Amino acid sequence: MNTSPSNRKANAFHAQAKNALNDATLKQALRSATDTFAERRSAAIAAVPDWEALREQARLVKDATVARLDHYIEQFADNAEQAGATVHWARDGKEACAIVQKIAEDNGATRLVKSKSMATEEIHLNKALAERALEPVETDLGEWIIQLAGETPSHIIVPAIHMTRDQVGELFVDKLGIPPSNDPKTLCAHARERLRSHFAQADLGISGVNFGVAETGSILILENEGNVRMTTTMPKVHVAVMGIERVIPRFKDLEVFLRLLPRSGTGQHLTTYQSILTGTDSAQDSANGQGPEQVHIVLLDNGRSKIAVDEKMRETLACIRCGACLNACPVYQTVGGHAYGTVYPGPIGAILTPQLAGMHEAKPLPFASSLCGACKDVCPVKIDIPSLLLELRQRAVEGTDHEPATKRSFFESMSWRMWSWFMRGPKRFRFASAMARLGQRMPLVHRLVPPMAAWHSTRELPRLAKRSFRDTYKGPSK
Amino acid sequence: MSSAREQILGTLRSQPGLKVPPLPDVMTSASSDATPIAERIAAFTAILNKLGAPVDVAPDMTAAATRITEVLAQHNASSLALSDADEVLAIAQTLPATIERIPHDAPRESLLRSHAGLSTAQWAIAETGTLALVSRHERHRLSTLLPDLHIALVPASRMLATLGDAFVRIGPDGAPDAPTITFITGPSRTADIELELIVGVHGPKALHVVIVADA
Repeated sequence: MNTSPSNRKANAFHAQAKNALNDATLKQALRSATDTFAERRSAAIAAVPDWEALREQARLVKDATVARLDHYIEQFADNAEQAGATVHWARDGKEACAIVQKIAEDNGATRLVKSKSMATEEIHLNKALAERALEPVETDLGEWIIQLAGETPSHIIVPAIHMTRDQVGELFVDKLGIPPSNDPKTLCAHARERLRSHFAQADLGISGVNFGVAETGSILILENEGNVRMTTTMPKVHVAVMGIERVIPRFKDLEVFLRLLPRSGTGQHLTTYQSILTGTDSAQDSANGQGPEQVHIVLLDNGRSKIAVDEKMRETLACIRCGACLNACPVYQTVGGHAYGTVYPGPIGAILTPQLAGMHEAKPLPFASSLCGACKDVCPVKIDIPSLLLELRQRAVEGTDHEPATKRSFFESMSWRMWSWFMRGPKRFRFASAMARLGQRMPLVHRLVPPMAAWHSTRELPRLAKRSFRDTYKGPSK
Repeated sequence: MSSAREQILGTLRSQPGLKVPPLPDVMTSASSDATPIAERIAAFTAILNKLGAPVDVAPDMTAAATRITEVLAQHNASSLALSDADEVLAIAQTLPATIERIPHDAPRESLLRSHAGLSTAQWAIAETGTLALVSRHERHRLSTLLPDLHIALVPASRMLATLGDAFVRIGPDGAPDAPTITFITGPSRTADIELELIVGVHGPKALHVVIVADA
């Protein structure tokens, strides 16, 4: 199975996961990364006495916002324009890409820089712009590495989590012609130098948005490297791509989210930089080159408005993209982001992708979970991911207005029917247990009979006791 | 009104029967201003030191100038990008003549090649070790971003206790005090290669804070 980035598909999850399981380097990298993040997160939240109250508050704010998203997003757009930004509305990814492309062309911009943004990954903005010879240079170190490698991100917060220092070193030797090195500090210094010249010449900067404030039209972007500050300060034009669910009602609500997001994401009490940008800087600043002359905000729907009016699923939109659920998830820890074949991996990806891209694009994902609930426990906005996964499983099987039902395998539905019949009477149950005891003495039966054969290819069924509890309770056997 | 806007809002309004939970009151850590300034400075210093950023307390501007001169020498910095804050301009005049001073409105090229940058911060937050830069009061977007070393001169009176206290100041009446507000907590950093912490990716490689007690 070819798992080059362009060929990865959510529907090929099983094959991609199998590939990942056979990659010892990847396994090692994932384990150390997810463990490190989980430990840092625990330490960071242990120092916050009112952590639960913060989570509760953030969720209440998000629920109230999503329920009136029409009101808040309109208020955001109006206030952002009032402050001097130009607001664009995009129904889908194609429309959003066309808007960014037009802004670039209207300004004669050819040298584009970009900071990390999941929304732009979601709409494959770089690919769309590359078709017009406008491909932006990624400036987040991890994103730049995977751009050079022709890869896709494997983690929301640490995009190149799947690459070792040796692989990065070889990549830099190959693409940048640097002397051989696998020292992260040296590699980073080369990246700084290269990207500085891009920043100095860029005429358009593209960023994402972590939070948009409805009552003021402000956007907040968090980062550690300084590339967001560069991207939003150096070029004459700044374009921010923002999912419509990024909006929160009030400026002062930012505090709660600032307390939750970095601790959940990287275990920091705050990331190094937060940029709170409201419209354009004063004319004098722009003239002095202290900030961009134009600020554009592209509001992206791409399936979000449908989720907002789906009462059972709308809590999906509370997500603040911290990545904590990825690090906590035993499936993600084992197979990594690429196995999901989607922009959003892990538990959040498994609920987001089938809703954004359509169930037919991502049917295996809601099933790629043991429903252990670790994601729900760490989620800073208390999204009940296991329940949402169950709801999506049901929809995957039964179908919806827009999606066909899954055709069930004959053996599977037969097995469940038999199971339910045997469970409905004590005599039947005793008979079935006796048969099962007999069956497990014949070692090959469960490996050959579908659908048990598929389940058993990687697992052992727990063995039944030689005697049932009921028999033992009656007394010693004679 | 564009049709995309209408259509998106239309979908959002297509299920008027759904539950609308109330918006809770703002939760904030503000108004804990009772902590003495000295304690705030100690907390601020402890956090920034952990992130690799030294913090000095100078009794007055003269002492601050001496300290800044020493820090510049330590970093072999011979050019200094200045913001346009009065305190910065005043102190810059007292620095040794060997240090090239680059004004805030100098061409980009000079700012890009300056070794160090000097600014104040409108607020500092003890709880998080953060500097809050508010663009309306000072042109410091570039001098705090481009040079390898950022020196921040902070009057002790601007040291706030909590993040909530800062939001009260930067967002009076719930609206931001300036088009650009930047929070800075330590030097630029990344952990994108095998999660190994590297300081100084795109922003300053070093941050040095000089708190002035009597400013």
